[in-house]
Amino acid sequence: MNKQTFDIAVIGGGVIGTAVAYYAAKAGRSVVLLEKDHIAAGTSGACDGFIIMQSKNPGPHLELAMESAALYRDLVAELDYDIEYQPKGGMIIIENDTQAALMQSHVAKQAASGLKVDILPIDEARRRELALAPDLWGATYCAADAQVNPVRLAQGFSRAARRHGADLRPGTAVTGLIADRGRVCGVTTAAGDIYCQYVVAAAGIWTPGLVRPLGLDLPIKPRRGQILVTEPLPPTIRHVLLCACYLVAKYRPQDLDPIERHNRLGVGLAVEQTADGGLLIGSTREFAGFDRATTLAGLEAVAAHARRLLPALASVNIIRSFAGLRPYTPDGLPVIGPAADIPGLIIAAGHEGDGIALSPVTGRRIADLLK
Amino acid sequence: MTNNYDIVIAGAGPAGLAAAVEAARRGARTLVVDENTKPGGQLFKQIHKFFGSHEHKAGVRGFAIGEKLLAEAAELGVEVWLNSVVWGLFANKVAVVRGGEQITLAAKKIILATGASENAVAFPGAALPGVMGAGAIQTMINVHRVLPGKRVVMLGSGNVGLIVAYQLLQAGAEVVALVEAASAIGGYGVHAAKIRRAGVPILVGTTIARAFGRGQVEGVVLAKLDESFQPVPGGETTLAIDTVGIAVGLTPLTELAWMAGCQFVFSPRLGGHVPLHDADMETTLSGVYVAGDITGVEEASTAMEEGRLAGIAAAAALGYGAAAAEADKAAVRSRMDVLRSGPFGLGRRTAKAEILAQRKEAASCRE
Repeated sequence: MNKQTFDIAVIGGGVIGTAVAYYAAKAGRSVVLLEKDHIAAGTSGACDGFIIMQSKNPGPHLELAMESAALYRDLVAELDYDIEYQPKGGMIIIENDTQAALMQSHVAKQAASGLKVDILPIDEARRRELALAPDLWGATYCAADAQVNPVRLAQGFSRAARRHGADLRPGTAVTGLIADRGRVCGVTTAAGDIYCQYVVAAAGIWTPGLVRPLGLDLPIKPRRGQILVTEPLPPTIRHVLLCACYLVAKYRPQDLDPIERHNRLGVGLAVEQTADGGLLIGSTREFAGFDRATTLAGLEAVAAHARRLLPALASVNIIRSFAGLRPYTPDGLPVIGPAADIPGLIIAAGHEGDGIALSPVTGRRIADLLK
Repeated sequence: MTNNYDIVIAGAGPAGLAAAVEAARRGARTLVVDENTKPGGQLFKQIHKFFGSHEHKAGVRGFAIGEKLLAEAAELGVEVWLNSVVWGLFANKVAVVRGGEQITLAAKKIILATGASENAVAFPGAALPGVMGAGAIQTMINVHRVLPGKRVVMLGSGNVGLIVAYQLLQAGAEVVALVEAASAIGGYGVHAAKIRRAGVPILVGTTIARAFGRGQVEGVVLAKLDESFQPVPGGETTLAIDTVGIAVGLTPLTELAWMAGCQFVFSPRLGGHVPLHDADMETTLSGVYVAGDITGVEEASTAMEEGRLAGIAAAAALGYGAAAAEADKAAVRSRMDVLRSGPFGLGRRTAKAEILAQRKEAASCRE
């Protein structure tokens, strides 16, 4: 078999891997992308499409997100492929005074970081988003929030990467990393060994398993999110919507009663209306290993929460449901950059619920790093 | 406790009701759930007499078979929930929406008898009012006694297209033409002969190129097709009609079985992807059975036999009527073989045998 050599081998055909392949190929590097299944077969094909700024913690997290948001505006033209990017703005629904206090301190810190977020009382929030329940406290609003179709995003990145000369190999599982005197210099696959200067491990929840044989223990683990899909509807939800309990669950889980089903399953509202009119209604945040099945308790909890915050959805038909496994990290931040003590190995994983928002900046930063 | 059942059956058509009758007769606590307002599936619109032998209720009309099944089920204490949708299967739990409320049922065995849905066909004007499925026409004329139109063109010469065309004639409509894209009539000769005798032209090698009309279908343009189903230049004719019936086959309604994780196989003969099942109608998921059109599109007679088989097997697996189960199942299987004979039945019998063979392979893979 011919020796196959590239500058960069990217493992994983989700939004992160395809973004890395795109930016690296565009920068003139020879790139091979190895995906065990097909493009967006894993987490990127089982999530919502939020590009939401105001859910990010002020600091490096929010800075990355804002850099990504700027890249998105260019991508729409660059990719020459409809990724269903909609800069529609986002709201975080606030149920009560406790949540309002958390959001007020959050918003103040965001303002200091240069992100404009308004806090709206319920009457004003309902004027902008009719479906909100009248007995809520209110909502935040951020014009910088947007939405994209994650599957089309991964397709757009991969097609554009191919135009820039990248070699895309769906259906090619990486079976191991090749190291020579401590330096990673390739990967093994059923279709032969591939040699490269750098391996970028962008395999989301499967990344720890890939790098563990080299002695690297990444703290990424799968966190399941269950999502309901409605029939296509006329325009019903104008913004991307989260609820404050999503942020409480994410940043202050110690504040929640662990016994209550809602909290046990980590339910936080995440609703968007997709380009075809269907609503995606999420989501749970549970640790269930690598099990991608939906559960009755999870779907019921998501539906109950959505009905509480958006009563109009009670009469909408659900046509299916699915679950995806988000790559959770303990500090809520992705792992992006060279692996310490393992030259040749770059990690781009662990984005949990932020992979869609952060994929352009992740791809761009990795490509810059490998110039 | 009240929501605990031995057997929960999704679908109150011929397969589901027959399964329920057999299961309840043997002592199993049985519930049938159906999303429609009336039980019986498609049986109540079948006003024609059934074929086959006495055991297959030959000479009895479909709706009468439905009434008898319902009466039996009621007598045996089968619970039937109507207007209730089974939307999910989770291990031994069945999720149902009834009266707008989510209800969780515990079921030791589950039988999916969800039937099939009519295929659509796309042509310009297919969304005009007056273009409808043959099943909708049958419901209108046979159940509601409403004539959908006066001048009808029917697309598709399978048994559904032929029978519904005849029933339209009986109901007083004019069937201007029956159109078939293939080069030969698809359904039974006896049905085709009836509508031919009534003067309805059956145009083979022809399809509907487009329908037109202002706010309602007023006509269709027919196109002659060559052997590779391409339009023949100059082969267009226009018919003035007010109704188009679409009878281009059915597809098994398999969503619940997919969701549950049953293994599937693609069988064009049986209408598409169907769940693998064994000779007891059990899928690759232990305790989940299938019966009727979900296993491949056939007829009400075979659907009822499959339902009986599933009902007997599911009950026996719970210890109800276990002693006689093998003999009972053998009797059903031999009746089914008779139904699946002749030039039309044999193809289905072969396709069904193939499903069983593949199911055996799937089982040996798992072990």
